[in-house]
This record gives sequence, C-alpha cells and structure tokens, in this order.
Amino acid sequence: MPKYTLIITEKPDAAKRIASAIATTGKVRRFTDRGVPYYVPEMEEKTIVVPALGHLYTLTSAKRGRDTYPVFDFKWVPRYLAERGATKIRTWIGVISKLSENADTFIDACDYDIEGSIIGYCILKFACKNKERMAKRMKYSTLTQEEIRKAYNQPLPNLDFALIEAGLTRHEVDWLYGVNLSRALTIAVKNCTGDCATLSTGRVQGPTLKFIESREKKIRCFVPTPYWIIKAKVVVGDSVFEIKYKDFIETKAEGEAILARSKTKGGVIEKIDVNEFQQKPPRPFDLGSLQSEAYRLFRYTPMQTLKISQRLYLDALISYPRTASQKLPPSIGYGDILRKLNRRREYERITGELLALSFLKPTQGNVEDPAHPAIYPTGELPKRILDSSEKNILDLVVRRFLAVFGEPAIQESVKITISIGGNEFRLNGRRNIRKGWFRFYEPYVHEEDISLPPIEQGQKIDVKKILLQRIYTKPVSRYNPASLLRKMEEKNIGTKSTRAGIIQTLYDRKYIREETATITDVGLEIAEILTKHCASVASIEMTRKLEERMYEIQQGTETRENTLKDAIDVLGHVTTELKKNEKELFVNLGQAIRRAKLEGRTIGTCPKCQNGKLVILHSKKTGKRFVGCTNYFENICETAFPLPQTGRIKPSGKTCRGCGWPVLRVWMKKKRLWNLCLNPDCQLKKQPG
Amino acid sequence: MSIEKTAGIVLKCKVCYRLTVGADFCALHLKAYENITENYQVWKKALGISWIEYLYEIRKNSLTGEWAKEVAKYLIDDEGTRDVKEDQERCV
Repeated sequence: MPKYTLIITEKPDAAKRIASAIATTGKVRRFTDRGVPYYVPEMEEKTIVVPALGHLYTLTSAKRGRDTYPVFDFKWVPRYLAERGATKIRTWIGVISKLSENADTFIDACDYDIEGSIIGYCILKFACKNKERMAKRMKYSTLTQEEIRKAYNQPLPNLDFALIEAGLTRHEVDWLYGVNLSRALTIAVKNCTGDCATLSTGRVQGPTLKFIESREKKIRCFVPTPYWIIKAKVVVGDSVFEIKYKDFIETKAEGEAILARSKTKGGVIEKIDVNEFQQKPPRPFDLGSLQSEAYRLFRYTPMQTLKISQRLYLDALISYPRTASQKLPPSIGYGDILRKLNRRREYERITGELLALSFLKPTQGNVEDPAHPAIYPTGELPKRILDSSEKNILDLVVRRFLAVFGEPAIQESVKITISIGGNEFRLNGRRNIRKGWFRFYEPYVHEEDISLPPIEQGQKIDVKKILLQRIYTKPVSRYNPASLLRKMEEKNIGTKSTRAGIIQTLYDRKYIREETATITDVGLEIAEILTKHCASVASIEMTRKLEERMYEIQQGTETRENTLKDAIDVLGHVTTELKKNEKELFVNLGQAIRRAKLEGRTIGTCPKCQNGKLVILHSKKTGKRFVGCTNYFENICETAFPLPQTGRIKPSGKTCRGCGWPVLRVWMKKKRLWNLCLNPDCQLKKQPG
Repeated sequence: MSIEKTAGIVLKCKVCYRLTVGADFCALHLKAYENITENYQVWKKALGISWIEYLYEIRKNSLTGEWAKEVAKYLIDDEGTRDVKEDQERCV
C-alpha cells in the first residue's frame, strides 16, 4: 500500500477546511470509517486529514476507586476509560490508529496553543504509537486558504516540546489539586452528614471563589451612611440645566444651612474652565477584552463569547481567538484585510477612508503572545447564514479592527462655577470636536454631547428650584461574569482559555447563582474551608507562583518533575490536615448542602396555612412522591397534593396566573415540558380546552 | 443549643446556625456587628439620632447588607442589648 502524509487537526471543521485549503485542485473527498470523518485532498502527494474531537486522552488515577484520598499516582489514558459517556472516543482513536499505520509523514495541525499542542502530542504518542518525535507542526492563526497553505508548505520541523511539557505539567498539577481537594470535600461531607453531593474545587477555582466570597462578605456586612447633596435647576439662555453644589455634605444641619443661604432668585457665573482632551483609539482585542466588551454590549457570558468566536474562527472569519496578544503585526496584511472588508456595504465607507490613508499604523497594547496576534477579522465573506450572536461578535471584531487605525478623538469639557448666595455650584458640559476613531467603532461607542449655550463670566442666571437631597453610600457591586474574568486576568490566575470555563463550573456546581455572581451558602462554606484549612493551596500567591513555574518550564529553566514534587508535598500536608479536622470542618458545609437541597425542593408558601412551605417529599411507606406542607410535622397543617410519579419535577418559582398557587415544571419522556398548578380547583383547569 | 468542646462551651450564633467566635455572633455576623457599631458615629453626627433609631433606619434601608440587617433586627429585638447600648451612649 502506498505511504501517505497524515495531518491531525483538533476538530472536524478544521480538518475539512485544511483539506480544502491544501488541495491543489480545491477538491476534497470525504470518507467515514465507523462514523469518523476524514478527508483526502486532491494533490500530488497522497495526504489524509483526520480530525480529533478535542482532547482524546485525559488523566486518571493509577489506582481504582473514587473514595480515597490523597491520590498522587496518575496516568494518561483514552478519555473513554476515565469518563462516563465518552464511548465515541474509542472508535475515534481506533480510526486514527488505523490511518496512522500506513502513514510515513505526520503533521500536527491542531491549534497552536497549549491545549492544541497537548491534543496533537497525545494522539501522536498514544494513538499513532510514538510518532511525536518525527511529526512536523503547522502553525497558523487563521483558517484562510493563504495562511493554511503557507503553514502546510513551511511547517515547523518539530513539535514545540517545551510548550507541551508546560502543558502536561499544567494538566497534571491541576488534576492533583482538583482530585484531592474535591475528594476531600465530597468524602468528608458524606462521612459527617451521610449526604451525597458533588463538590469540587481546584487550583484556580478555589481562589476565584474566594474573590466572590470576599466581595459578598463586604456587601452583606455593609452599613450605608448618609450624606447630602444640593441640586438646583437654573435657566441658562433658553434651556434649563441641573447644577450641583460643589461638595458632598456630611450632616443634615450643614446641608440645611447651605440650602437656606442658597435660596435666592439668582446666581452669577463666576468661572468658566474649558479643557480639550484626547481619547486614544482602543487596543485590538485579546480574548479577555473581547469577552468583556461582548458582555457589556450584548450580555454574552465569557463562555458564550468564547464559543461564538471559536465558530467564527473555524469559518475563517476571524483569527484565532484564544490569544493574549494586544498586537497586530504588519505581516497579517492590513491593506488586504481592509480591501476584503470593503466588499461589504456596511464597511465600505469607513474602510474606504482608511484605504485612502498613505500609512496604516494600528494602536497596540504591550502584551505579546508569541503564538498568535490579537484577534482580527480575515475579511472573508461568510459562507453560511450567521445567527444573530455570530453576526454581533463578527461586527464587533471588524469595527474594533477598524477603530485601532483611527485618529484619537478630541473632546472639549466645560466646567462652569456658579455662585448662588455665596455658595459654589457646578455645571458641566462636553462636546466632541473631532470624532476620530469613534466613527469607526459606532454603534459600540456613544459619546453624547452635553451642549451649553454661550455663557460669559459675570452673567446672571435664574434659579428655578433648589433642593437638599439625602443620599447613602453604596456597597461595592457584585462581580458579573465579565468583571470576574477581568479580576482573574489582573491576578494572573488561570489561562485565557480556561478562565471562562472555571466561572461556568462555579455556576454548574451551584456555588454562585444569577448574573451578578451571588455566592450561595454552599459556596460560602467551601470558601470558608479553603480559607481556614487550605490557605496554602487556595491562595492567589500560590496559583500565580505555579503559573510562573509553568512559564519557566516553557523557557527550559524549570522541570516538570520538580513542579509536580512540590505540588504533591503541599497537597500531602493539606489533605492530612483536612482529614484530621474532618468532622468539625464539615458540619456547617453539610448543613448548607442540606438547606440547598431543601430549597431545591421547596415550591412556595402553603396556600392553606399561609405559614409553612410546600415541599416535594417521598412517602416512607410507598416511596411515592407528593407535595406536603412543612407544618405537617408540627401537627398544624395537613395539606398534601399528589404528583405524577414519572418524569422530572422542579419548582418553577412562579405562581399560577389563574389562582396564584405555586406551579411546578414537569418534564416527561417524549412529552412537552408542562407547568402543573397544585390547586385542584384552579379556574384554568376548569376551562374547556 | 450548645455543643460541648474540650476547650469549653461553644455557642451558636444568635442570628444563624454557625458557631460563635465571640460572645454572640459567628465570624460573619460579628463583622456585620462591627460595621454597625463603627458607622453609628457617622449617623449620629449626620442626623443626631439615637442608637435604636439608627438600628431601625439601617434595617429598613435597602442598601444595608443582609447580615447587617439580621444583626440590626436581633439588636432591636434584644432588649438587654438596647438598654446597655443606650446606657453607654448616655455615658459618652
């Protein structure tokens, strides 16, 4: 059988695109083997492009059993051996192994970052049987035809082993932390309270939860203090403006005194300060700033933005999104991209303006990512209909790319000091003198003018109304997914690719809830345990140090063995401490879990006794489920309702629009989700149809 | 309800299910209590109100944190605390 080149990609979409890009005739034949697709591009040298499905290999404990800790022995295994439901992976690995048997050249074309490098390395090492040393590496930042061809024709001679070593260490250290601390929490709660609950924490998850906990404590312990402001409505020219007294006032008496002195009919313009200032164009997007901006504008969570931008990357519409770079090197071809964007009507005018410039120089940040530039549009036209979220993110990336080439915006601020009864009040105005880059970034930047009529010093003005207003100091705001991501970036914990996932895990584990990342009782107790008994492993300092060591491994100044040994030492102490204090530690956590479980089963206030809570219960005799009032146990209320015995039932948190009684949501196999009102005499149930 | 410990008696927080770290409150409610006592001086200076009026004010204020509200409610309900605090106030 003739030998061929085997190209391995990270995802099926990327395999298809790479195969089309390298085919000399542009034609590609698609084959499948037991449901696994692979592509054969038409070209002189026989080549097969086969995709992975993300990570095909993962870490697992070398010993069997999930109810012991500490665990320090691990091994890399196919995912189907470690995870339930990953059966498809067995076939996938089988097909790649079979295709590798007759290949004589191997090319790793997975994404050029830590995760992509590990995916490619594991496949070459395990599925292709130790081909990692002979494999070449394709390096590209966009999936456009030109860049793919260039990467294929000039591949790197070897895999980036330093990057792989750092990546393997990161996975192994994270596995050690995650498995040991999570098992310690889960097993201890089970031993102390008999309750089963899936609890987890980890090297990055712990410190992230602590950020939220620390802020939550400040908010819940917050006591506001009063202060006063004085506002007045004045007539300047033909318009009415609101002006404010220059300072905040600490006491009511002082405020009333100033108000009394200010209660005159007129004021006089004392001073006019006019200042011009520049607003520089923004930096190009790295992943974090794209996620923040997408949240600000569209309320997409960081995880959603990551997924959307990944799809746009696989469609070759934007460059690789998992980047920390804030730089756009000239090699990406600014002019070419602008010319391509110019084909689209919505960008025709602004790209035309930029193309008319003799020199294009983008505004850039300081951070450089050796693997990829900042996120930019490729200028390619979409080959399918994009959904609204994809359109939004693509437009945002395009307009940010255009804005970085714009001129600084120039604004003028006017500060007017008005004297009323000898007291100084302020009136502020602002107008755009030159819109500069604002024009390119519209509608995502909106600076409204606060225009003031012509005013002169000494001019007299009428005071229409004046009042004293009591205000209170406010607590700090809770984190939202975007601000939490920024905090993680600022403290350098996690990586650009993992941060969004970690925030999502905190939601999935029910440690935090709602958009405002409000910590739950369970989250609070976990954070408390981490603070008191795992301070050394859950500190930001430790996480940052580990990140630095990963970087050193990548630079060749630190070893994987040393880093793992130190992690095991630290974890050994912590797990011993946790075991020793198990009972004492987990009483509060156990109670919080029980309360959370009860809350999850609580439907609402009992409509009959108006005092107890209606809860989903199971009969001890029959095992059947029903709804009962908590006051039954106090011999006060005997309210009970039958429930369907099949399907999944959850409180909806809503009340019936017909009778106001609590409503349940019911999921039944092969049936539509429906709402169940508990009231047997509900008006809506009696209506025909 | 109390839990016997070798070092002595450990009590439950007056407001929640957690164990106390001082005389009355758990660590979380103790911090809220400290904030309440610290900020009283600001309120007194600003509005000239008494301790009990202050507690009612912060309890009804929507910006007051949940734990601070719980402590304020406990302090209002707890006659003894109110008397002691007012005595202290009179002395000052």
